[in-house]
Amino acid sequence: MNSTATYQENQTAWEKIVSFINSIGFSPLGLGLLIILAILPNFYPFSQEYIIRWLIMGAFLAAQAVAFDFTAGYINIVNFGFAALLGLGAYTSGIFANTTPFLLYAPGLNPWLTIWIGALMAGLVGFVLGILTLRLRGIFAAVLAWFLGIALMGLVNNLTELTRGPLGMNPVKFIETPNNLPYFYIILTMMVMIYVVLKLVVRSNIGLAFKAIGQNPDAARASGINPTKYLVFNFTLSAFFAGLLGGFYAHFFGSLTPSTLMHTSKTVEVLAIAYIGGRGSLWGGLTIAFPFVFFIEALRSNLTSLPGLHLVIYGVLMVTIMIYYPNGFSGFYFWAVAKVKSFFKKK
Amino acid sequence: MTTETPAATLTSVDLMTRIKDNLPVVVVSVFSVILFVLVGIEGGPPQLFNVIVTGGMWALLATGLALVFGVMNIPHFAHGESFMVGAYVSYFTFTPMNKFFLSTGSKFLIYSGPILAIIAAGLAGCVLGIIIERIIFAPLRHRTKEGWIMNAFLLTVGLSFILVNGTTLTLGPNFRGIPRYYDVPALEFMGAFIAVDRIVATAIAIVTIGSLWFFLRQTKTGRAIRAVSQDETGAQLVGIDLDFIQTLTFSLATGTAAISGASLLFMFQAYPTVGLTPLYFAWYVVMLVGLGNVAGAIFGGFIVALLQSATQLFIGLSWQSVVPTAVMILVLILAPSGIFGSEVKGIQEQ
Amino acid sequence: MLELKNLDSGYDFLQVLWDVSLTVEKGEFVALIGPNGAGKSTTLRTVAGLVKPMGGDILFKGESIRNKPAHIISRMGISYVSEALNLFTDMSVRENLLLGAYAVKEKETQLETLDYIFELFPRLQERKDQLAGTMSGGERKMLAIARGMMSNPTLMLVDEPSLGLQPNLTYDVFSALLKLVKQGVTILLVEQNVNATLDITDRAYILEQGRIVMDGPSQEMKANQHVQNAYLGI
Repeated sequence: MNSTATYQENQTAWEKIVSFINSIGFSPLGLGLLIILAILPNFYPFSQEYIIRWLIMGAFLAAQAVAFDFTAGYINIVNFGFAALLGLGAYTSGIFANTTPFLLYAPGLNPWLTIWIGALMAGLVGFVLGILTLRLRGIFAAVLAWFLGIALMGLVNNLTELTRGPLGMNPVKFIETPNNLPYFYIILTMMVMIYVVLKLVVRSNIGLAFKAIGQNPDAARASGINPTKYLVFNFTLSAFFAGLLGGFYAHFFGSLTPSTLMHTSKTVEVLAIAYIGGRGSLWGGLTIAFPFVFFIEALRSNLTSLPGLHLVIYGVLMVTIMIYYPNGFSGFYFWAVAKVKSFFKKK
Repeated sequence: MTTETPAATLTSVDLMTRIKDNLPVVVVSVFSVILFVLVGIEGGPPQLFNVIVTGGMWALLATGLALVFGVMNIPHFAHGESFMVGAYVSYFTFTPMNKFFLSTGSKFLIYSGPILAIIAAGLAGCVLGIIIERIIFAPLRHRTKEGWIMNAFLLTVGLSFILVNGTTLTLGPNFRGIPRYYDVPALEFMGAFIAVDRIVATAIAIVTIGSLWFFLRQTKTGRAIRAVSQDETGAQLVGIDLDFIQTLTFSLATGTAAISGASLLFMFQAYPTVGLTPLYFAWYVVMLVGLGNVAGAIFGGFIVALLQSATQLFIGLSWQSVVPTAVMILVLILAPSGIFGSEVKGIQEQ
Repeated sequence: MLELKNLDSGYDFLQVLWDVSLTVEKGEFVALIGPNGAGKSTTLRTVAGLVKPMGGDILFKGESIRNKPAHIISRMGISYVSEALNLFTDMSVRENLLLGAYAVKEKETQLETLDYIFELFPRLQERKDQLAGTMSGGERKMLAIARGMMSNPTLMLVDEPSLGLQPNLTYDVFSALLKLVKQGVTILLVEQNVNATLDITDRAYILEQGRIVMDGPSQEMKANQHVQNAYLGI
């Protein structure tokens, strides 16, 4: 019809670009920062191997925070066994890609394939977890996830013929190269993929259902939303991505132990980032993860005489934010933007 | 918080209805008795004493946890760190003190050394509890009550993080331990040799729990604590200062956990993450009997210890982190309010 | 003894009371009546310190209490018997009563008052070891009032004691309140049962939609046209 045609013509080229960027889940600023991030490691000082490693860890943590926030920030359940799901994916992938003869299985499949098997495995457990938490509210669901995580970690520890237990497992790496740069692009791609997929889901009607269930499950049910399928879907997807990230970790790091990978404290680290970044925003944790990793690694390497200081600061920050700034960084950002806008409006 | 247990009257129809109403309790009790017998047969008196010692430990830890949940409505994730603090304080008090007492040669002093160290740990725990409550929980409580349970829980998670890493920072990650508190031979009882340290630890647990129980049931302040856990508004209306009670409760919980950690120094040693495993088990107990149930926590401690022992005997020591956890997951799914089904305030909200 | 001066009060962003002023003199038995949702409970809760006022002042014996926390107000001698009763359901009648006297320093006074209360409420004495949560509605109301009396208050705020009670129990409750007044306790009573309330009280205030619309001696109020139409069904 004539009217819509005229309207579309009236959109400037810039507006068209912006709306396209928005449709894949970014703001122009966000996309700009992402592009900078992608190019960064090609330039000094960011091209140094140890800095690229930091970038990898940043992206790894960022992706985890997004997957975690997908559950915590939307359906309002803290998946306290998140690290265990990640570890499950890591170990599954490692086992299927295993070529060393002295373990029970040595299928020797391609790691690029096995990470998806790991993701499926984690997704399956996430599915089960989602079903189990259906009847439980808030703290009980979190505790159930927590206990499940403990049990999984213990299981992996005990199935020594598959995993070598506490001795640790050494899965094959993706690529045989001393450089970190290829791995950076792998994790960056994963991170962007996870973010875009989850952001689009959250933007859709499914996301609305999530929020409704998160705020008031009974009201949601009364409005005709069946919490079951949404809750289970959320857990499964979040766990799937956690497992995928675990697969990355396995074939990047090349060394897995249950206690370093699946311990509750690892979930706490992801949780802290997600909360400090701002629950329910998805991008908050993503953005915060990078400066955080840099800050902590820089502290760690400069203050070698004070081991653990960075983690103490980390913890204090998390506690302070939770008491005084519960909306986290994303809340702060929106507040600041609104202030700036109103300042310019007054002019 | 319930400190009452239902009275038992028996007619056969009555009995059937009572069983039906309290099915979870009956199932768990029967299961526990079976386990007890099995453990007794397979492991004999040594294993049964193991269960008593471990059970006392979990019971003491779990009562603190139940108290914090029942009165303050906080699912306390950092409770294990109180245990850790107790272990450290005892280590740093006992070691120099013991050296000195040994040099005096006085039997009385040498034998009271451990007790003094444990008391010191308890006091330190109480003080720490006061500081933490005033700095961290009171401000949040006065700011907003919205989403309190989850927020408080996450706060304790952050607190745990700070305490564990703060200890690593200041005291280093090394294990500080003592081989034993009492340099005396083990006592023989029913064919089993039990270390005196473990007897003392169990006795301390029993005395501490008993004192706490007496305090809560018979004293005015104890009654006030129970009142706050049952109806906060009612408590205010009779003139109870909520802030004071909250601080006191948290201080008691931290202090008793510290006593637990201190009395078991010979078993666990002191290192930053020592509190993590006791934390899980204390949580198992509390989830089993129902959050906020202080009386139940005492029984629950022994049931969980029994489960651990059975796992160790029949499956394997390393499965202790899997089998009891799996059982607890089952309990959570089937009876989330615990086997006693206590309807603690605030559970129904998010 | 109690004076509300231009009191504004409410919850979060919802203002319920607008410019409410009333006084209760020592020894008086004053009623606050009005339709559902008028804000009568809010008035009592604000005086008791459970709700923070938005404006105006509350004076007790000449001293402002608007910023004082609830437990301090209780200790000053104001007892609030809430509509929800707020009993300690897992504790016995005796323990509930003892807690009522929490702020009383001397143990002997506590026990004396307990004996006195048991004389006044023999039914409670019968059930002194029974758990509060297992008692019937009327008994629990009695217990709540009795608990409120344990601190020997100078002012009692009683919120809808007859709600949900059978007429004969209502009679018992009101008799108990009258006995208290005879002993010199000042009472501000919020009630829906307008007829009986106007019979036993000295003065009454009418609260409608958060504002005081009328006040005067109870017998005059009873004869008033508007009151008769709106509240007495005449």
